[in-house]
Amino acid sequence: MLRSIVLALPLALLPVTAQADASGGIVDGRILPSMSELAATGAALEAAAQANCNAEDRALLAAYHTAFDAWVRVSHLRFGPTETDNRAFALAFWPDTRGKTPKALAGMIAKEDPAVMDPEDFAEVSIAAQGYYAMEFLLYDGGFAAQGSPDYRCALIRAQAQGIAANTAAIRTDWTDAFAEEMRSPGNRYRDAAEVKQELFKALLTGLEVTADMRLGRPLGTFERPRPNRAEARRSGRSQIHVILALETLEDLALALAEGDAEVSDALQAQFTTTLERVRGLKDPVFAGVADPASRFRIEALQQDVRDLKLLAEAQLGPALGVEAGFNSLDGD
Amino acid sequence: MATRRGFLAGMLAAGLAPQATWASLGSPAFLSAARSPGGSYLLAGLSAGGEILFRLPLPARGHAAAAHPLRAEAVAFARRPGRFADVIDCTSGSRIARLEPVAGNHFYGHGVFSPDGRHLFTTENDFDSARGVIGVWDTAAGYRRIGSFASGGIGPHDLRLRRDAPGLVVANGGIETHPDSGRAKLNLADMRPNLSYLTFDGVLKDQLELDPDLQQNSIRHLSVAADGLVGFAMQWQGDAGADVPIAGLHRPGGAARLLGREDPRTRNLNGYGGSIAFTRDAAQIAVTSPRGGVVQLFGTGTGEMVQEYRLRDVCGLAHLDKGFIAATGEGHLLALPGSADTLLAAHPLAWDNHLVALA
Repeated sequence: MLRSIVLALPLALLPVTAQADASGGIVDGRILPSMSELAATGAALEAAAQANCNAEDRALLAAYHTAFDAWVRVSHLRFGPTETDNRAFALAFWPDTRGKTPKALAGMIAKEDPAVMDPEDFAEVSIAAQGYYAMEFLLYDGGFAAQGSPDYRCALIRAQAQGIAANTAAIRTDWTDAFAEEMRSPGNRYRDAAEVKQELFKALLTGLEVTADMRLGRPLGTFERPRPNRAEARRSGRSQIHVILALETLEDLALALAEGDAEVSDALQAQFTTTLERVRGLKDPVFAGVADPASRFRIEALQQDVRDLKLLAEAQLGPALGVEAGFNSLDGD
Repeated sequence: MATRRGFLAGMLAAGLAPQATWASLGSPAFLSAARSPGGSYLLAGLSAGGEILFRLPLPARGHAAAAHPLRAEAVAFARRPGRFADVIDCTSGSRIARLEPVAGNHFYGHGVFSPDGRHLFTTENDFDSARGVIGVWDTAAGYRRIGSFASGGIGPHDLRLRRDAPGLVVANGGIETHPDSGRAKLNLADMRPNLSYLTFDGVLKDQLELDPDLQQNSIRHLSVAADGLVGFAMQWQGDAGADVPIAGLHRPGGAARLLGREDPRTRNLNGYGGSIAFTRDAAQIAVTSPRGGVVQLFGTGTGEMVQEYRLRDVCGLAHLDKGFIAATGEGHLLALPGSADTLLAAHPLAWDNHLVALA
């Protein structure tokens, strides 16, 4: 059974300090438009791949980047529709610490796996062979440019694009048909408005954590052993832009959550501005600078800025929303 | 020796003494430590339906507890690095004994009684020599410390009774800590966690180490099925985002089976297993992750995930007659899986890391 269940708890225990309307505004003003964009760019990517599946086709590459941008902008919203049927994992299998993506792709190419001919079959292949990160190997990795036949690679790219279109469409449909209303009018999936805010607040923290620990932390590695090859989507030169896109969308969410509290809002705004200035100022699209002490410190400082953002959100925004840090999650053993 | 103490000890071991038994307290099904809204700490006895049958004050934040198999006595352990554990008479709430580890040791927060209730075994850190130790205490002699033996590794955390043979199974987490540096981890680069099977005299009978690429996966919590199958939960200490298993199964003499190995949802555990438990029939095993806010259920036959629940700040976990009971830092006690994912009870308490099932 591929299902993830959010427990509906009938008893209200938490003080309702959050305002219901702010969450509704975030859902309608921010989440739904970004989910529409996700699905529209997914569909456009499929159309581009159908029109021309050559990995050097400019229109295809442009559609790929646009679609990937749209995913990064919603990648922190990991609840509800993205988790149904493992859609988010099928769109974005990263980090791939066991090298499953190149392995799965090489395996499919070597045996010319016919699953690429049928969308239903392709949805059942390894999740590591699906989505934006797997497609990047076929579009940008020189090692794959010569593997197998051009026809098979073409079919694989089309299958991936089709899968991205299908999964993003399903996410958007679930959001517009049901999930948005669950968040606007809590009482079923979410007990009350406070729980909705908690979910959104958790998404903010998750996004900051992924940015600090994965997007920046994985290439940083340690001073003795930097890992530039671990930078996210480095083949397509997207590592830095992912951090920028993530911070922009998280800033938007954070400020929306802080609405009405000028002090918290100002503090968040100031820290986001500093952080975004720092990342935009890096002339390093794939964080290659992690390996050079002269530039590494800038990326470390950026990571610290993002961690400070998370601390700020926990220390100020959380209490303003009536969200307490978890008793167990904060300090387990 | 026909001393009075020896005579009484014999009576106690035989369950004949006029001490209260768990039945006199309404036969609690579980014990759990908790924090009250006022910030004080307590140990609670819970029914299978999630009602609080008794609550007893604790002097500090608790971690796990151990329940005497016969008498209504519980040992409440402080969180590591614990300097004491209190043995509490659960009928009166009075302290029967305070256990203090020998100089140079501290408790890790878990303990278990021998099947006859005569001895208590505790996981301890002999911190100056970075050696894991099992302390042995005589419950019939006022919980006097009568000895200790090596745990088979560094950083022993949970320990349980074997059910396929007499003896203990110990989760040696592999992480070296020293009270001088608090909870800082001193050996992450070369840590070697293991699962050690020991006789009650400390003879090492079998030991499981995972593959070198999982060397930084600290084996921490345990559950043992009736036929002796051991479930273990791990906490990943390596790079963030690594695709690692968090729960596994093992039998002495066999290889480990890692659960949900190809299921991307295991990432939702955030590299952190908080508690682990089998169902009564051992057909399923569940693991909680407070950091990920999820409970995941696996089939023990297939090793595949059968269901995932999102549950904020969940950690404590034990089995019910059917399925599981999970406890959260928000005071909820839930039955899983249930058609309605039944909320058994909600208490104005923060339930701490572990639900300890009484036999």
